[in-house]
Amino acid sequence: MLELCGVNTFYGASRILRDVSLRVPPGKLVALLGRNGAGKSTLLKTIVGQAAAQSGRVRFDGEDITSAQPWRIARAGIAYVPEAREIFPSLTVAENLFLARRAGEWSGEKVFALFPPLKARLRHGGGELSGGEQQMLAIARALLQNPRLLLLDEPTEGLAPVVVDEIRRRLAGLKTAGPAILLVEQNHAFAAAIADQIYVLGKGEIRWHGAPAGLRADVVGAWLGVHDVRD
Amino acid sequence: MLKTVTRAPDVRDPLAAALVAAAAMAWLFTGDFGKEVLSEVAVFAIFAMSLDLLVGCAGLVSLGHAAFFALGAYAVAAFGVFVNLPMWMAMPLAVAVTAVAAAAAGFFAVRLGGVFFIMMTLAIGQMVYAFFLNSRAFNADDGMAGIGRVDFSFLALDSGEPAVFSAFAVCAAVAVFLLLRMVARSPFGHTLAALRRNEPRLRSLGCPVLRCKLAAFTLAGALAGFAGALAAQHNGFISPDLAFWTVSGEVLVMVIVGGMGSLSGAALGAALVILLRHHLAGLTEFWVFYLGVLFVLMVLFAEGGVAGMLSRLPRKLHRRGGNV
Repeated sequence: MLELCGVNTFYGASRILRDVSLRVPPGKLVALLGRNGAGKSTLLKTIVGQAAAQSGRVRFDGEDITSAQPWRIARAGIAYVPEAREIFPSLTVAENLFLARRAGEWSGEKVFALFPPLKARLRHGGGELSGGEQQMLAIARALLQNPRLLLLDEPTEGLAPVVVDEIRRRLAGLKTAGPAILLVEQNHAFAAAIADQIYVLGKGEIRWHGAPAGLRADVVGAWLGVHDVRD
Repeated sequence: MLKTVTRAPDVRDPLAAALVAAAAMAWLFTGDFGKEVLSEVAVFAIFAMSLDLLVGCAGLVSLGHAAFFALGAYAVAAFGVFVNLPMWMAMPLAVAVTAVAAAAAGFFAVRLGGVFFIMMTLAIGQMVYAFFLNSRAFNADDGMAGIGRVDFSFLALDSGEPAVFSAFAVCAAVAVFLLLRMVARSPFGHTLAALRRNEPRLRSLGCPVLRCKLAAFTLAGALAGFAGALAAQHNGFISPDLAFWTVSGEVLVMVIVGGMGSLSGAALGAALVILLRHHLAGLTEFWVFYLGVLFVLMVLFAEGGVAGMLSRLPRKLHRRGGNV
C-alpha cells in the first residue's frame, strides 16, 4: 500500500533521512520506533509532502506521490495526525471535525462511538479542550477524511498516564476496524503489543525491522533505550 | 443533525443592529448633508466589509483593494456613459467585470505569502491606478463626470434625492453584510478561518488552499467593485485617485480600527473614520495626523478594534458588578 524506496530528506544541509525504505501493507498497523531526533516525524512529513525528499520514491497504491502537493496526497487517502495535534482553536469541535470530511465508511456516529467524550463537546471551541480531548479530536478529524492510511505521530506524547491508557485502548480498537496505520511511538512495549510490523529508526537510518516478537534486547538497547554515554 | 451545530450567538451581532438603528436615526433626523455622509458611510462600509473577508477572515492583508473599488466605479461609468445602459444593468455588469479582474489578479497574488502577497497586491493596485491615469478613453487624470444613478422612478422616487440614494446605499450595505455573514458561517468560511490559523494543516486535511484563497479574493474584489459602482453613482464623478494605494490603506485602517474578523466592526470602522474625517477636517488642517494618532493608539491598546472593545464590555461590567 505505502512504499518508501531509498528516501533521503534534508533540512538545509543536514541529512535527516538516509536511504529509508519501508512498507505498510493494507489493513496492517506498522509501528515506527526511535529516539528523539531519529527522524521519525521527518519521515511522516516526507510522506505527506510537508518535507521534500531529495532522492528516493514514495509510492501509495502504486502511484508515485514523492513530489505531489500535500492536499493531493491527503485526497489520495493519507490522513496525518501531527504530534502537535493542530486543532483550529477558533473553530468549534464540530467545525474542526467536519472541515475535512470526505464521504466513506467513517461517519460522525462511528467516530463518536470510538471517542465518546467528543460528542458532549461538539459546541465547544477547539482551544478549550484538554490535551487528551484534542488528541481524540485530531484522530477523529483524520478518520473523517476516510483515509486508507492513517499516520499517527506520537499520539500519547505529553498526556497524563490515565489518558495515555485510554488513547491506547482506542487505538487497539481502531486496529481491527480501521485503515492501515503507521504509528510513531517512543514506547516500544506498547508498540510491540499492538503492531503487526516494527521498524526501528536510528540517526536517520532504518536499523531493524521485523515482527514484534523478534524485537530483541540488543536492538532496544542500541537504538531505543535511554542514551548511553558511550554512544 | 450535526450540520446545524453552531457557536453560541455572536456577541458582536448587537453591534450590527445598533449600526442599522444609527443609520435609520441619521436618515430620519439629519438634513441633506447628513444623508450624503450616510451614503458615503454605507459605500465604505461595503468596501471595508469586503476587505474584512480577506484580512479578518482569511488573514490575507491586501494593500491593493482600491484597485477593485476603482474598477467597479470605472466599469459602471463605462457601461452607463459609453454604452448608455441603465444603472440596473450597468451595476451587475460592473460587478462581473471586477470579479473577473479580481480572479485574474488573484491567480498571481494568492500564490505568494506574507509580505510578498502585500507587495503583489500593492503592485496590482498601482498598475490599475497607472492604467486609468494614462487612459485617454477615461479622460486620464481629469476623470469622468456625468455618471447617472439607479432609476427608482417606477416607485415614484428620485434617486437624485439624498434621502432616496442614502436609503438605497444603506439597504445595499445591509444586504452585503448578510451575504458575507452567511459566507463566514458556511463551511467555506470555516475553511478560511482555518487557513488564517494554520495553512499547512489545512493542506494536509486535503484542502486545495490556493483555490480557497482565490475564491475569497474574487468574492472580496467583486464586492469592492460593487462598492465602487455605488461610489461612482453617489459622486457622479470618478478619477484615477480611487485606485491609489492610499485608498487601499485607508480602507485597511477602517477594518483594523473597527475590528478585524468582525463584519459589523468593519462597517463601524468605516463610519468612525468617515465621521472623524468630516468633523476633524472642520476643526483642523492636521486631521490626518490626529487620525494617525488614533490609529496607533487603537493598534497598541485595543485588540480587535472597537468591536473587540465592545464585545469585552459586558464581561467587564459584569465583573465590576460582581465585586460591589
